[in-house]
Amino acid sequence: MNPIVIAKNLTKSYTKGLRALDNVSLTVNQGKVLVVMGPSGSGKSTLIRTFNGLETFDRGELNVLGINIEPNHDERKIQKIRRRVGMVFQQFNLFPHLSILENITLAPVHVQKRSQIEAEDYGMYLLSQMGIDSHAKKYPSQLSGGEQQRVAIARALALKPELLLFDEPTSALDPERINEVLDAMRRLAEQGMTMIVVTHEIGFAKDVSDQVLFMDSGKVIETSTPEIFFSNAQHERSRKFLNQLDKQ
Amino acid sequence: MFNITLIILFFQNTRKTLFSNFLNTIISLIFIIVINLICFKAFGWLIHNANWKVITSNLPLYAFGSFPPAEQWRPATWIFSLLSLSIITLFGPEWKWLRKNLLIAWAGTIPLGLYLLYGGIGISPIMSRHFGGLTLSILLTTCSSLFSLPLGIILALCRQSSLPLIRKLSSIYIDVMRAVPLISVLFFGQLLIPLFMPVGIEIDRVWRAIFAFTLFVSAYIAEDIRGGLQSIPSTQIEAASSLGLNKYQIIQFILIPQALRIALPALTNQSIGLFQNTSLMAILGLVELLGVGRSILANPEFIGQYIEVYIWLACVYWFVCTIMAVLARHLEQRMKINQANF
Repeated sequence: MNPIVIAKNLTKSYTKGLRALDNVSLTVNQGKVLVVMGPSGSGKSTLIRTFNGLETFDRGELNVLGINIEPNHDERKIQKIRRRVGMVFQQFNLFPHLSILENITLAPVHVQKRSQIEAEDYGMYLLSQMGIDSHAKKYPSQLSGGEQQRVAIARALALKPELLLFDEPTSALDPERINEVLDAMRRLAEQGMTMIVVTHEIGFAKDVSDQVLFMDSGKVIETSTPEIFFSNAQHERSRKFLNQLDKQ
Repeated sequence: MFNITLIILFFQNTRKTLFSNFLNTIISLIFIIVINLICFKAFGWLIHNANWKVITSNLPLYAFGSFPPAEQWRPATWIFSLLSLSIITLFGPEWKWLRKNLLIAWAGTIPLGLYLLYGGIGISPIMSRHFGGLTLSILLTTCSSLFSLPLGIILALCRQSSLPLIRKLSSIYIDVMRAVPLISVLFFGQLLIPLFMPVGIEIDRVWRAIFAFTLFVSAYIAEDIRGGLQSIPSTQIEAASSLGLNKYQIIQFILIPQALRIALPALTNQSIGLFQNTSLMAILGLVELLGVGRSILANPEFIGQYIEVYIWLACVYWFVCTIMAVLARHLEQRMKINQANF
């Protein structure tokens, strides 16, 4: 098993003494899907944002793709990792002034120095994989939320990443639009992509994930397989959270 | 039949809006009489008393100043190319290659103008003191805008820099420039710069004016662009940096294009204001459009005809500013399609 992310005792506190991350340890192996769940403010987003250096941490050890990330790291060192890790955000964060295809080719051309033609060919391939190649010339504001999020996934894939991070990818979508994004993510998991997904979608977690991690107030409460977590959660806090989700 | 119903409708409407009761009727009547008096007076003056010879016999002077008459085709060509480019931009066909090359064509008008005016290879060189009239006003406006835009962008970026010294320096510069009146900066350019220069080196007056305008306007442009930069959500930077783009690539590909789009209406204002402010140079001895008007009024032949001259100048300024405003609105419309939905 080839570990992609190894975190040991990650700790991050804010100035008020509030702990965003409290001794978080986890390992994600190649080709595996980890789903991170937990109430809002539990530190899930902070956790996965440390994996590509969008957030720093105070103490602990973190190794992503064989590269050590130090606490309070330097912005420049982290770029080596960011080229190999894709990220998809809750609010899509597409670049509104660029067309869909330009959104996708920007990083391959300017970061990986690939030729424009090669990047466009691969971009069109990714868009057709996502089922939105007919929108290539449009601008983000002309697309629906679900389509925009699929563009964001294609944009993250354009750098041929070895790890994909999803930060609540379906939370900003209309209920009818959620599945088109989840289906795209399912296909990626089937193709063997290593993924860390922050989500509240129980169905997705049950079907796709290899491991579920439950967090509350910065601590890892429980790590188990989805079978155990959703039928027989070990911890009182997890059961309470799942009950709340079921009621919705 | 159709006309009669229209007229009846008109009268019914006016009765409802202007003459609904006694007080309204009186107010309406007074205003109608006053407006009519003013209009009759003005039209009467325009038709019977005004002597438009002061305009018609001096047209080349208004356009080109004291540019040698044999060479006046040169500024004429330049102004004509600007005008035709505006018309093509506004009403031209939607061919893709045309739209793509329009920007290059616009950028090319400034070197073209400088070449045509100063001369050099192939055409006889002409000293800048012969420049004048509308040509000079446009030259000052275009060159100053061209230089102050990049300077303004750099100042705006420096003002947000993480290095305290650079941030402080640029904000001091911006604050100082915004705290002094434009005319004093122009005086500085015309009177003080020659004193600072080593003996033998002389910058011509047109370039000193452009330099002073650039110093002044770039501070305002910097503030407009800073507004644009601040309205870009930080999630854009996060998305770009998580794609591995470095700081300078983020500025170049993400921040500046978006900030310019957001700041475009404010930038239009700046350039229209700049064109109007070039008239201040008349006080400082450059014979641009207003300066030509003043020098013509000083001619004994046309003495006292200032109303005609200033009406004419107002029309010319209005015309050029309107073209600029319409072009900017056109640009905004074209950009609307890919506007932000953050």
